[in-house]
Amino acid sequence: MTTATTDARPVQGGPRLAHTARLSFGGILRSEWIKLRSLRSTVWSYLIVVAISLGMAVLMSFSLANGMSGMDVSAAPPAEQTGMVLQSAVFGTYFGQLVIAVLGVLIISGEYTTGMIRSTLSAVPKRLPALAGKAVVLFVATLVVAIVTNLAAFGIAAAIFAGNGVHVSLFAENALLTLGGAALYLALVAVFALGIGTIIRSSAGGIAAVLGILLLLPTVFGLIPAEWAADVMPYLLSSAGMTMFMTIGADPATLAGPNAWQSLLVVLGWLAVSIAGAAVLLKRRDA
Amino acid sequence: MRGPGGFRNVGGMITATALTKRYGAKTAVHDLSFEVRPGQVTGFLGPNGAGKSTTMRMIVGLDRPDTGSVTVGGKPYAEHRAPLHEVGALLDAKAVHTGRTAENHLLAMAATHGIGKRRVHEVIELTGLESVARKRVGGFSLGMGQRLGIAAAMLGDPSVLILDEPVNGLDPEGVLWVRQLVRHLAGEGRTVFLSSHLMSEMAQTADHLIVLGRGEIIADAPVDEIIAAGTRHRVRVRSPHASQLAELLAAPEVVIIRSEAGLLEVTGLEAAGIGDLAAANGLAIHELTPQHASLEEAYLALTADAVEYRTEALR
Repeated sequence: MTTATTDARPVQGGPRLAHTARLSFGGILRSEWIKLRSLRSTVWSYLIVVAISLGMAVLMSFSLANGMSGMDVSAAPPAEQTGMVLQSAVFGTYFGQLVIAVLGVLIISGEYTTGMIRSTLSAVPKRLPALAGKAVVLFVATLVVAIVTNLAAFGIAAAIFAGNGVHVSLFAENALLTLGGAALYLALVAVFALGIGTIIRSSAGGIAAVLGILLLLPTVFGLIPAEWAADVMPYLLSSAGMTMFMTIGADPATLAGPNAWQSLLVVLGWLAVSIAGAAVLLKRRDA
Repeated sequence: MRGPGGFRNVGGMITATALTKRYGAKTAVHDLSFEVRPGQVTGFLGPNGAGKSTTMRMIVGLDRPDTGSVTVGGKPYAEHRAPLHEVGALLDAKAVHTGRTAENHLLAMAATHGIGKRRVHEVIELTGLESVARKRVGGFSLGMGQRLGIAAAMLGDPSVLILDEPVNGLDPEGVLWVRQLVRHLAGEGRTVFLSSHLMSEMAQTADHLIVLGRGEIIADAPVDEIIAAGTRHRVRVRSPHASQLAELLAAPEVVIIRSEAGLLEVTGLEAAGIGDLAAANGLAIHELTPQHASLEEAYLALTADAVEYRTEALR
């Protein structure tokens, strides 16, 4: 044959593969991990989350440490000092959740818009393990990034407060739980958004839906001048999400709605609905 | 089965039974039953919109049939322990995330089945993608996309290959390469199921043809038979006594078309018979030429009533 211009090999089936190939969940996890880190959008999203968290920690720390409320922070009770440093460290989570939610949607909607989903589901024809693999990889990756980021944010906040005579240890009561809780919330939001993206299958629609749920719902309910609206508020995803890590160890008397642990259950409830809907539709629909 | 050359993944059979698929009110395929056998190239031929891609998607479980079923090697595709080792499919050259490099795409696909990096680089080499493997797929030409799709299909060293319009967008060398590749794969005993809307392409590649029109099977036979059946023998006869000759030739099974004065297009009679009849009646003949319909004509004749999107002739 003439191979003057083609760079493809002359015909051969290629060397044989040993008959060891086998679809496994471990393999699916590795595959999803390769997919996650081989897209620029993922890497950028995580970098933006890190930048937001650290940036907000700096802003918030300076603002609180310099006595925004007119008080001398170094004279405040130790528990209050710890609270201020922690608040500064996790402040970025409120904005980070928006970026993470977009990422969660794109992880799957990007596959639908490019047609990649057909490759994914050809390799994993039972489908649900593919969704589970994505969820696990996204959850773990987000959790790890967020934990490291929050620890760094705490370090920055603690250093800024130290300049104002406030010394808070990472091992102070509830400090690790708060930092970890904020990271957990981000990871759960990512998986929630993955479910929404799977249900809606379009990037624009999915992003609009998750941002609507995270941002718009609390605003709308806040504007409704009725008691039931106020009662519903703490059960909205982003409200429950903030409560689950901001009120750890708080005096129950100061809480109007569910406490931190109950709020975690509320967040898990949102996630369960999203993922269950995604699983049913993924299984049922044509790809 | 292991031979001295290593493992040989001999083909499994594709068996479709009464497949029907509707999208809303539109029936994409209706009551399709067919078998695709190992060791040969089976062409899946039909005009655009005939239901070829739908059928192929149903084989690998991407679309669910409304009724009927399809198995590969005796089991539904999803039931296999190593689906990619069973079936390699090129369904759509765009089934790749545009933001990922070709190599990462293949690595991710391979990882699901524990297929190693070595095999990934083998298929990259096999399909001639070495120079672009680390470039993002978004910038690929249609032809490179097709090569990547073929590389992905070959990853699991599958016993069955399903290729939907694999030569779309390929340059002539690429077309030749695909043709030789599928012939080679079938020669190794694999099952090759290849779709196209081009009869000429199929005639050069396939052993067996399944012809689809408007979602139903029009023909399912060896290529030679389909060509023979689709080719109506016509004889071109030029004679100064055309009218007289036409009267003599007239019979229920004979069709005569007079396209211009003194010229007859006769279907249903052999040239020898026409010549003898003319001689017996003392009529001069200036031309007597048996005509063979081209493959393309045979195909068009076969699908004439089954074309979904017909192009009106330009006026």
